[in-house]
Amino acid sequence: MTEFLAAIDFSGWALHALVVLPLVGALLIVALPARWARGLALGVTLVEALIGLGLWWVFDPSLGMQLRVSIPWIPAYGVNYAIGIDGLSVFLVMLSALLMPLCVLSGWNYIETRLQGYYALLLVLLAGMIGVFIALDLFVFYVFWELMLIPMYFLIGVWGGSNRLYAAIKFFIYTMAGSLLMLVAILAMVWHRWHAMGTISFAYDDLLAYAAIGALGPLKPWLFGAFFLAFAIKVPVFPFHTWLPDAHVEAPTAASVLLASVLLKMGTYGYLRFAIPFFPAEAFAALTQAVVLALAVIGIVYGALVALVQPDVKKLVAYSSVSHMGFVMLGIWAMTVQGIQGAIIVMLAHGISTGGLFFLIGMLYERRHTRDIAAFGGLARVMPAFATVLVIVSLSSIGVPGTNGFVGEFLVLIGSFTTQPLAAGIATTGVIFAAAYLLWAVQRVVFNKLDKPENQGLKDLSRREWAILLPLLAGILWLGLYPGPVLRRTEPAAQAIVDQVRRVMPRVVPPSDLRQN
Amino acid sequence: MGSFDFLTTLDLSTPLGLSAALAPELFLTGAALIVLLFVAWRHSTAADTRMAGWLTAFSLVLGLVVLVGMGVAGTRAEGIPQMMSVDQFRWAGGAVVLIAAIATVLLSIGYLEREGIVAPEYYVLIILAVIGMLCMVGAADLIVLFLGLEIMSVAIYVLAGYDRQSAFSAEAALKYFLIGAFGSAFLLYGIALVYGATGSTNLQIIGTQLAGAKLTTMAALGLALLLIGLLFKIAAAPFHMWAPDVYEGAPTPITTFMATGVKVAAFLALVRVLIQSFPEAAVTWSPPIGILAAVTMILGNLVALSQRSLKRMLAYSSVAHAGYVLVAVRPGTPYGVAAVWLYLGAYTLTSIVTFGVLQSLGRSGERDVTLDRIAGLAEERPWLAFAMTVGMLSLLGFPGTFGFMGKWWILSASVADGERMLPVVLVLTSVVSAGYYMPVIMSMYMRKSPGAGTYADARLGRAGATVVAVAVIAVLLLGFWPAPLINYADRVADSLHTIYTSQGR
Repeated sequence: MTEFLAAIDFSGWALHALVVLPLVGALLIVALPARWARGLALGVTLVEALIGLGLWWVFDPSLGMQLRVSIPWIPAYGVNYAIGIDGLSVFLVMLSALLMPLCVLSGWNYIETRLQGYYALLLVLLAGMIGVFIALDLFVFYVFWELMLIPMYFLIGVWGGSNRLYAAIKFFIYTMAGSLLMLVAILAMVWHRWHAMGTISFAYDDLLAYAAIGALGPLKPWLFGAFFLAFAIKVPVFPFHTWLPDAHVEAPTAASVLLASVLLKMGTYGYLRFAIPFFPAEAFAALTQAVVLALAVIGIVYGALVALVQPDVKKLVAYSSVSHMGFVMLGIWAMTVQGIQGAIIVMLAHGISTGGLFFLIGMLYERRHTRDIAAFGGLARVMPAFATVLVIVSLSSIGVPGTNGFVGEFLVLIGSFTTQPLAAGIATTGVIFAAAYLLWAVQRVVFNKLDKPENQGLKDLSRREWAILLPLLAGILWLGLYPGPVLRRTEPAAQAIVDQVRRVMPRVVPPSDLRQN
Repeated sequence: MGSFDFLTTLDLSTPLGLSAALAPELFLTGAALIVLLFVAWRHSTAADTRMAGWLTAFSLVLGLVVLVGMGVAGTRAEGIPQMMSVDQFRWAGGAVVLIAAIATVLLSIGYLEREGIVAPEYYVLIILAVIGMLCMVGAADLIVLFLGLEIMSVAIYVLAGYDRQSAFSAEAALKYFLIGAFGSAFLLYGIALVYGATGSTNLQIIGTQLAGAKLTTMAALGLALLLIGLLFKIAAAPFHMWAPDVYEGAPTPITTFMATGVKVAAFLALVRVLIQSFPEAAVTWSPPIGILAAVTMILGNLVALSQRSLKRMLAYSSVAHAGYVLVAVRPGTPYGVAAVWLYLGAYTLTSIVTFGVLQSLGRSGERDVTLDRIAGLAEERPWLAFAMTVGMLSLLGFPGTFGFMGKWWILSASVADGERMLPVVLVLTSVVSAGYYMPVIMSMYMRKSPGAGTYADARLGRAGATVVAVAVIAVLLLGFWPAPLINYADRVADSLHTIYTSQGR
């Protein structure tokens, strides 16, 4: 495989193709007749998935940032289209690319109106998501970060549920408020550097180096605050999470899946890539660390408790996302190599499991046009395959050993236990609550008596639905049973972040995580 | 350039050099006379009006070619300019004014026909207004600035009231006239006081007189009155009260012209006066401009939020955008000037799109176009809805549009100057603005139209549709690839600054 990829110079064009191909696909979909839209979208996303998969072999964990390319964009002002991947981003890029064909399939029959718009927007969204994860220039990062808002806004607003208008604008304004302040922070760093060094550059490395020499001085807490807020809204960290249940519930299945699986990860990715490396001293000041850990733990417990009482199964999964993302925050702010690796794995695992749950809920909704838990019951009798998959995916979301959810949350918990025993202790209850709300919901949906006449004629999974679920099941089990290769690829990136923080704040990193030289 | 040096570096002491320096204005004056003769001869049918429109558009395009040619050649003059500056800033500003005027004329052709307004003098007035604007942008002397402002204003007063059947149009004209006369009086008094303080009305001589010293009371008062006079035309708070009524009442193409051409001319004149005549920015005009910028942004955006009529919403949003530009005026640096010019260009192109689409949707002044009246537009008229979406996103400053690049530049200029509060106010008010721009998109795409065929008669005419399409493409293209324009903007800004620095500021 490696030789084949080298022969076609894969590493030279893979990242470009990942961004450009969906955009070209979107243009084609708009230009060509509507009846070709679905097929075209599926074709483009399958090619994307193949390219994404290829990254697995090309990526060399020992190299750090790689596949770097930098093309001048606005040369006079130091803006370059600079991209690259490292252990932190490669799996998020792969996740985005691999999920996309499944998302296209999920609306295959259900989306009937304005097909061209729907599929074109999905592809633009894909380009935006991948762009965010590979951008190595803060201007480019910001552009992609904002660009994603529009397709998501339309996907929710046009193809969403009954309360879609409210959900769409709430999502838009929340995210935009955070990101515009981040824009000011980016510009403040760039121009501060310009005053000191005489050149303008938006390059990640340049700004990182400038932040590291400590010249930003009293500005730093403010800059960190702006970055923190932008990412906190995206994650979402309690109490900035209120847009999430609305957006999730109203969005069509594909948008819910992408929102949960990829968009939320941009927030935590932003912390690991930008906020923490730029401002380690601010991020791990005693008070900030305590506050963030507290918010993370509140998110874990609060999300789980609120999920417990939801009558709407989609809302239940939405709140469970708040809980799971709390684990990611906990893993990051525990600042151990295990914690950060755990955070990365939770990001992936949550992407697969919660994505899977949203797909499954979408399949139910297509059949019954309701998401009310009380409307179901005993589905295992008429839909045995569906019930089996639902149980497996739910178990993985709970974090049962042998599934992907276990690996991530376990790493986060042991990683955080060494530095933050109290927070880790409380967070553990989140795992228990997760079992409670999900198993209870599963019980009410697929077990109990088959007492509703509407449910008796439901069809089991179709071949298309199997095609969506099988890759996810494979991912769940593979990541759960044999996470070694993934951990090996993310470890240098996690270690690098810990090293960056340790240089400035030796206090927060445990001695066991000091790199052996 | 060799033997063509006499065209790029003008010797203003010779008649040839002097006429070359005034070429765009002279050419357009000739064009205005020709169109005037034409309409005196043919003025009774709709076809005559249309013919006058095309004639006007043609001469404006030629005028633009002349201006752009002078810009490309980098035409400049020796020594201190007496009446009109000969610099890149003038060519660049004039080009924006002419683009706005050409769009206005082409949008008017369909509009006048639809509204049944037969009066070809309309187009003569537009050319006259353009001449006034060019004088404002190029003025090297306060008197020329005042003359330009009056030539422009008188023409616009008449144009605002051009729809004689509409009481609102008449109200708009009267209001604009009274307030405008008031503003002109402030300006004139300011000029008199500045003259009293410095003994000159030439911008650069005033600048050398005032450099390096604290302003005397008389000069400070003169500056304040000058500022007020120009801020009236810009419609910055608290001098914006007239704008919503006038913008709403005027025929929509004229509203477009007021939001773009008038604003561009007044802003560029303001920038030139401030930078060339009042060099000690930090201690004189920067603080008040900063405060006015904040007030204008907050007020414009908050009030726009509660408007029901789209035209009125755009009017308030125009006030808000004046606030954004003031943020870039405040630093008084070359970056700031480049940002002002870029943003005015972005706002002009975007306004052509938004007002153009608005014009197609309404009847008799578009006062009744509300969010409900555009519901489901995307289903029936996807391209109109797409154009409006691009316009709204550009006004919002969303990446991928020229509006974003403009806003980014304003933020850059402000942040680079060490300003902290204004950029934050700017982005927060931008978030507020999402609260009224996004519902427009929402209504067009996410709500059902009241019935099939509701928008069948939404028409712009071929000329108008072409203008809007070109503007949409420009907004998108410059949003993705602004590099050449940005390099040019730096040259524009430098041309304004090098003048007085070369005299040993």
